[in-house]
Amino acid sequence: MSQRETAKRRAPSGARKAQRSGSQSGRAWLRHHRAMLGDSALRLIRRPVATLLTLLAIAIALILPAGLWIALDSAKLLDAELDESATLTVYFTGDVDESRAMTLAGEIGDAQGVAGTRLVTAAEGLADFQQALGVDDALSQLDANPLPASVVVTPASTTPVAVAALSDRLETLAGVDEVRLDLAWLDRLQQLAEVGRRVALALALLFGLGVLLVVGNTVRLAVESRRQEIEVVTLIGATHAFVRRPFLYSGAWYGLGGGLLALGILSLGGNWLASPVAALAESYGAHFSLPGLGLGHSALLLVFSTILGWLGAWLAVGRHLADIKPR
Amino acid sequence: MIAFEHVGKRYGGRFEALADIDFRVDRGEMVFLTGHSGAGKSSLLRLIMRLEKPSRGRVLVAGHDLDRLHLSQVPYYRRQIGVVFQDHQLLFDRDIFANVALPLTIQGLEPHEAARRVRAALDKVGLLHRERALPIELSTGEQQRVGIARAVVNKPALLLADEPTGNLDPQLSADIMRLFEDFNRIGTTVLIASHDLALIARLRHRVIKLSEGRLVKDGAAV
Repeated sequence: MSQRETAKRRAPSGARKAQRSGSQSGRAWLRHHRAMLGDSALRLIRRPVATLLTLLAIAIALILPAGLWIALDSAKLLDAELDESATLTVYFTGDVDESRAMTLAGEIGDAQGVAGTRLVTAAEGLADFQQALGVDDALSQLDANPLPASVVVTPASTTPVAVAALSDRLETLAGVDEVRLDLAWLDRLQQLAEVGRRVALALALLFGLGVLLVVGNTVRLAVESRRQEIEVVTLIGATHAFVRRPFLYSGAWYGLGGGLLALGILSLGGNWLASPVAALAESYGAHFSLPGLGLGHSALLLVFSTILGWLGAWLAVGRHLADIKPR
Repeated sequence: MIAFEHVGKRYGGRFEALADIDFRVDRGEMVFLTGHSGAGKSSLLRLIMRLEKPSRGRVLVAGHDLDRLHLSQVPYYRRQIGVVFQDHQLLFDRDIFANVALPLTIQGLEPHEAARRVRAALDKVGLLHRERALPIELSTGEQQRVGIARAVVNKPALLLADEPTGNLDPQLSADIMRLFEDFNRIGTTVLIASHDLALIARLRHRVIKLSEGRLVKDGAAV
């Protein structure tokens, strides 16, 4: 009989049979995933020093961009506070008395593009000045109040162009000496924040690559040390996915562990900086505390680092498995 | 079970490891593959295990045309073959039980069923009492028997062995061969590469002899 013919016909079905039914193989797949999840964790725990060093390397790579991000976040908070105080100060000429100042303030308040006004009389201005500078004695020796009355104007729109236009219009009013606005430094601050954001992004990319390399290299060594095992299981019918799985899990563990360590170090660092930062803010009369990462962003960092670890392992194993061919 | 059709294998374009090999092994046969080292025995086994592809000709095993087997199918194909290595290739970081269970773990067999089959295989090679021992604690002969248990735990239709008695003394070698005969008796096709001519002669099975990559003899042992 033509056994060859039978052989040919049987080929695909034999292979399919070997793959077994869907639900059964699904259960087996889950079982192996669970087993490898535990097994890979155990392997890391069994070599605590080596594992800790790797985790530390990953943590440091994560802390730098995350720390910068926190710093920027704080700057943004400051920024928001400054945005609210993006006001114009309209100084009246010296001959404008208090009642005239009130009338003018009312006019300004009705003008287009003005959201609100606050009149600062000459006396109030002096009081503010004394408080801010702490120079009671020197000022009290003056005969007359040298300060003019002023109006603090909150513009309806805070875009630099709108504020500049408003400033020009207010300056033309009778009795107005000068309109002060500090657009330039606001502008600069915004540019600076943008630079910071880009630096943070570049650092995040760079250090993300660092995490990838750290995990990749560690997993590469692990693959090398289990070379015989890989050869044997390949010979007796293990799929690539089966061989890859434990390494992918250890990569994910490295990422997650490194992420947790990074969060721990960041929170320690935050606590360490908290009191001097608060004192510094206090001295400027501001109320400000370091924001930290928050729950949402912490979770994001962990997810991100876990994925990076997994990816690093995947790249390393993929590259390396091609080299390992059973003898 | 195995059919080689004018198979040739060259390495690096020049060295001819196998030339025009043409033979068949029927289901349930027990065959010895002999020849000096370098005669092509290992190359032939590697072709059957689909570790390599022939340069020419076709290899058919257990209904698969190995040349047309997709790479993703190769692992599933290999699960149908039991392989015994000269250096047994046990994993020294786990006990005997786990070593024998490895093929079943790979296939994702239910742990309960797997344990039953592992014990049956260990019982067959006479090492059931050592299932919790580490490979390092066993003698060379015992290690080789564990290797055999691992090869048969999956009840493969085809059992390949590459110099399974290469490191053993004559008495142990005879024991190992008897084990292979036992498996052959229950229907397993067995192909053993060996250069232990004295032993092969005593066993009186079909012998295929290779020399410099060519098939020079195919018949009963004399």
